[in-house]
Amino acid sequence: MCTERVAKTLTAMILIGVLSLPASAGTWQHEGGSLALDEQPQRVVALNWAATEALLLLGVTPVGVADRDGYDVWVNEPQLPEDVPNIGTRVAPSLEAIAELKPDLIVTSAEMAPAAKLLERIAPTYVISVYKEGSKPFEKATDMLTTLGEMLGREDHAESILADIDNTLETQRLRLEAAGLTDRPVALVNFMDARHVRIYAPNGLYQSALNALGLENAWPRQGNFWGFSVVGLESIAPYEDSRIVVISPTAPGLADTLASSPFWTYLPAVNRHQVYEIDAIWPFGGVFPVKRLATMLADSLLAGGSDNVR
Amino acid sequence: MYASTSGMPASRPVMPARLPIAAILLWLGALLARAVPWLDQLDAGAVLSAFWAFNPDNYSSVLAHFSWAPRVSIAILIGCGLGLAGAVTQQVLGNPLASPTTLGVEAGGQFGVTVATLFAPGLLAFSPDLVAIAGGLIAIGMVIALTWRLGFSPVTVILAGLVITFFLGALNMAFLLLKGEWLGNLFIWGAGSLVQNNWAPFMELWPRVLVISVLILLLMRPLQVLQLGQSSASSLGARVGLIRALALFLVVLMTATVVSRVGVVAFVGLAAPVLARLLGARTFASRILWSTLMGGGLLLLADTLAHWASTWGDGSLVPTGTTTALIGGPIILLALQGFRNTHHMPGQESNLAGFQPSRRAPLLVSGIVSGLIALTVVVSMSWSPGLDGWNWTPVTQWDDAWVWRGPRLLAAMLAGVALGLAGTLIQRMTGNPMGSPEMLGISGGAALAMVLIVLTGADVGRAGQLGAATLGAAGALGLLILLARKHRFAGNQLLLGGLALYVFMDAGLRLVMASGGTVASQLLNWMYGSTWLVSETEAFGLLGFILLICGLLALIVRPLTILPLGDTSASSLGLPVTKARLLLLLLAAVLTASATVVIGPLSFVGLIAPHLARVLGQQTVGRQLIVAGLVGGLLLTLADYLSRIVVFPNQLPAGLLAALVGGVYFLWGLSRHGKA
Repeated sequence: MCTERVAKTLTAMILIGVLSLPASAGTWQHEGGSLALDEQPQRVVALNWAATEALLLLGVTPVGVADRDGYDVWVNEPQLPEDVPNIGTRVAPSLEAIAELKPDLIVTSAEMAPAAKLLERIAPTYVISVYKEGSKPFEKATDMLTTLGEMLGREDHAESILADIDNTLETQRLRLEAAGLTDRPVALVNFMDARHVRIYAPNGLYQSALNALGLENAWPRQGNFWGFSVVGLESIAPYEDSRIVVISPTAPGLADTLASSPFWTYLPAVNRHQVYEIDAIWPFGGVFPVKRLATMLADSLLAGGSDNVR
Repeated sequence: MYASTSGMPASRPVMPARLPIAAILLWLGALLARAVPWLDQLDAGAVLSAFWAFNPDNYSSVLAHFSWAPRVSIAILIGCGLGLAGAVTQQVLGNPLASPTTLGVEAGGQFGVTVATLFAPGLLAFSPDLVAIAGGLIAIGMVIALTWRLGFSPVTVILAGLVITFFLGALNMAFLLLKGEWLGNLFIWGAGSLVQNNWAPFMELWPRVLVISVLILLLMRPLQVLQLGQSSASSLGARVGLIRALALFLVVLMTATVVSRVGVVAFVGLAAPVLARLLGARTFASRILWSTLMGGGLLLLADTLAHWASTWGDGSLVPTGTTTALIGGPIILLALQGFRNTHHMPGQESNLAGFQPSRRAPLLVSGIVSGLIALTVVVSMSWSPGLDGWNWTPVTQWDDAWVWRGPRLLAAMLAGVALGLAGTLIQRMTGNPMGSPEMLGISGGAALAMVLIVLTGADVGRAGQLGAATLGAAGALGLLILLARKHRFAGNQLLLGGLALYVFMDAGLRLVMASGGTVASQLLNWMYGSTWLVSETEAFGLLGFILLICGLLALIVRPLTILPLGDTSASSLGLPVTKARLLLLLLAAVLTASATVVIGPLSFVGLIAPHLARVLGQQTVGRQLIVAGLVGGLLLTLADYLSRIVVFPNQLPAGLLAALVGGVYFLWGLSRHGKA
């Protein structure tokens, strides 16, 4: 019994020693200046879903997340544990709620710049914007993942995640190539209503998935810095040889409305039965949606298209 | 604005030739500009025949027939409908700033679509118009119910309409901010897009527009009588209230019907009648005719511009609401130059007719309101929700709580006081009950600066935000002084200038909204009063500033009591009218700017606080100022507290809550007085 207690104490001491290792402490340069951490953060708060995703990928459960219910609906994967508290909306989080959680690291983007000083009062703040003017989302997201990996002592996790994504992308590319499905460009769209779509542009996150799969984006123009453009449905008509990939969700009744419109039924892609629909993916996330999109895109193209949305 | 016609020589009874010429130019220009891009794909005959036929083997022809032609047709149809509705609204309400939007139609329509999208998406699939029309009718129903006992006097109708607009608008914004991801369609609907890919909407719409137009035309004769003013009209046996209610109902039905399909195409209902009048349409009949035609031409032109802008840029949608605003702005500015310097318009009572609440002792009222402010402060500091539930913070621990609750509370209160004061100043100066700091364009200028920053994609910190807003407000003030100098800083010209600025800001806002993403949510969050960003330094800075201005105000109450008597009387009483006006304008502007910079431009408090002061029985200037300031302070203090707690840990902009709280109280006051 005595030895058992000694052993326990020893383990505890070793654990404490491991946890307090200064390995992850250090200084990082980021968009909001420089960030000095004396020790590895234990309580991290994420103010957007890209940051939430990165933390979860690294195996760190954040102590607070902005708009956590929305995360479950729109991002879904990687899964967020039930008991993580919500700290407010993504545009105006509750500073008091964040302070109550006593975090030792806050991860946010330059969107929160007006609140930067107030956030700094609560905890060291790591500012990284995957989405901002002129940024390359996938590279930025990779950077966020590896930097958070360093800060949280999870470099291995970060590396294996990135390697896994590379592998997946390569596997899916080979699948598509083997089936000879990389010949036609694809237009990735979200229906906003029966008349308008969000079309994903070459400067967005999804382009990384298309590139890796060897697919061409039908839409040639730059979008906004989130990587999409809102366009009237007729804007996709000129790209006659492209396939249309519709990302869920679509409003109820959309299929009927489209089917009754000759404009849609005469669309070359519709005539060729090359309309595909895939499940919802969060287009403004980190590295993970790229893997998800690639897999679902390959599955859907291989399964074959139809002449309407579901 | 009616006075603009009375000064013309009586020897020119015929319609000026420029009206038909302008209309023809507008229509031809817009149609040609619309057709030209098609000529390199189809021959002229095929472009024309796209309105009734298509060649299934040629996709260009399919596109022209099912996308281009219905869009042109629906633009003309909706423009005409809105032009007609606008002309009738201005006739009924006798106010150049009034339009169907004033009556809450669009806010109501958007509310209907929002609620349906969130809670009954099946309903939208069943009929896209039903919910929008129902929403619009609910809005006008509320307005009519509230003003029923007051005989629909124009001023009360406008006020009730504005309050309903803000009220429903606040609810819409709250939904957009909390459920933005679910409401992607609403961002487009709110920005207005005429994109079509089917003839069905047009074919469904035109019979409805036709029927409503005929009904409106049947009302023309009775409406003409209204122009004589309420008492003369009544003595001629016209049932003024009934006619007004009927006309307003039809106008709203028309507006709701046309916007239900395409969303909010702003300012057509305002710009078309203003343009018709500006070009010399004088009789009610000619105003109706030309406003209708101008409306169709204007919307077609605006939609053509929107379409061009979409194709020239990165291909992303430029909503038609943006270009209608860009066209509407200059027209309103032209009107500013064209209208005579009028304080009051015939048919517009300067007071709320039948709405004279009994006077109350100012000390008692001020005391009660101050007490309520103190109570709100105590409750706000002490009783707040946390992540584990509600808890009470005793006074001894206010030190800790202060950091997150104090500065925003203080800033909100001060901004409320500033807006209450500014609103009273502006309403007293212009004699227009629609006058508000928002209308002065100061907040519009600040907002415009922020919208531009967002459009360029630069991200700025708090200091940049404050700087940009200050710069925008200062620029707007400079422009306003420049514009209003000619009119000796008087009357509705001030408000029209401000409105034009607001319109430009609105154009940018719609562009941002249609492009979607969290950028729009962020901007809306700031615009509706983001007290959560206020730091201690800012709060104390505002405190010092407001105290200084209040001191200055106390010195110049006298001019305010004299100015509304008219220029001649004021001058004869020894008041340098122009200088006095400029000084008051500057004070109002500075007050508005300081509040705007700290808590954002759209808070509605400046409009409602002066009216609340009147409801509370304060009629003279000094008393109205004090009570309006206090009421404004109370409103925003309460709003800030509520914005923090109602959906904790989410928070809403304080301005939204102020609109909800103030709106409810005002409507209650209005209905109570109606029954008395």
